Amino acid sequence: MKAALVVIASWMLACAVLEGAEREFDEIVRVVSNGFHTRPVHIPFFGLVNLATSVARPSGVKHVDLAVFENLDLGGHAAGDIAETIRSMDRGWLPFVRVHNHAETVLVYMTQERSDCKLLVVTIESGELTVVELKLNPEAMQGWLRDPDAAAVRSVSR
Amino acid sequence: MIAIKTALIAWIALAPLGAQSLKLPASLDRLAAKASEVVDVTMDANLLQLAGRFLSDKDADDAKVKKLVDGLKGIYVRSFEFEKAGEYLDSDVEPIRAQLQAPAWSRIVGVRSVKSGENSEVYIKTENKKIGGLAILVTEPKQLTIVSIEGTIDPDQLSELGGHFGIPKVESDSQHKNSKGGKDE
Repeated sequence: MKAALVVIASWMLACAVLEGAEREFDEIVRVVSNGFHTRPVHIPFFGLVNLATSVARPSGVKHVDLAVFENLDLGGHAAGDIAETIRSMDRGWLPFVRVHNHAETVLVYMTQERSDCKLLVVTIESGELTVVELKLNPEAMQGWLRDPDAAAVRSVSR
Repeated sequence: MIAIKTALIAWIALAPLGAQSLKLPASLDRLAAKASEVVDVTMDANLLQLAGRFLSDKDADDAKVKKLVDGLKGIYVRSFEFEKAGEYLDSDVEPIRAQLQAPAWSRIVGVRSVKSGENSEVYIKTENKKIGGLAILVTEPKQLTIVSIEGTIDPDQLSELGGHFGIPKVESDSQHKNSKGGKDE
């Protein structure tokens, strides 16, 4: 009976932690939605992706959240506005990499969540904005640290 | 007495310059508009501390970098890639070179390749007889890379940092000569 209670309590704690992480990403999505007066596109069965990452850990990804905003009227200051929005959220996201070319701008932020590292990758291209939050294992993070700009571009092309 | 006062005022006025880190001039923002790709890697003290926790102790290279990172306050990399040669001028880089002057800064490596047009320079910043930072300037016909490393670092360890955090691999003069069989380009 005692063992069952411990298992249930651990499961509830794990759920609460996961819910906290979801809420944080939801907050990012809400702030972006409000800032650009839009809503993210619904991605069917996206929940299955995290079911897969919890088992297979592709490219060292332990958890992924994704929000895609389409048909946006993005001005030339979109990257600056997003950077300011993330900074003002005061959630400990540290600016890490920024890659800008004719087609797109990629902003990458890093933070720590217990023993894991989390990355927030924001891609801005013509009329489209994608926000991805990745929880990575240390090996995957090492790849980012070796070649951050190439990793940023790779993460977008995936 | 006047001479002493003048010297004292000059010393007070110039003293902070020695402690200043490399400032990227506003002219670089204009270059960003012309570049086909701009990469900006920002690793301040907080991020370096965080990154250090994720570098592997098992991998020999990572372990060395992890040890190195402990003494650093920041790594900043700005790289511009252009579609054609000649899209940036020496005058765009001049405000950076103007900062990298004695007595605070000294150039320790200068490698120029006539064949590729690549020019790599490494400067060290000394504060109270200690190395307080490093600057790397790599100019190529279609690419410009500026790296500023703040904190305590041995220039010999720079090769270990090269290839991490977006820092280009820079060979020292001796390494360069060895790799070219003793002949410089």
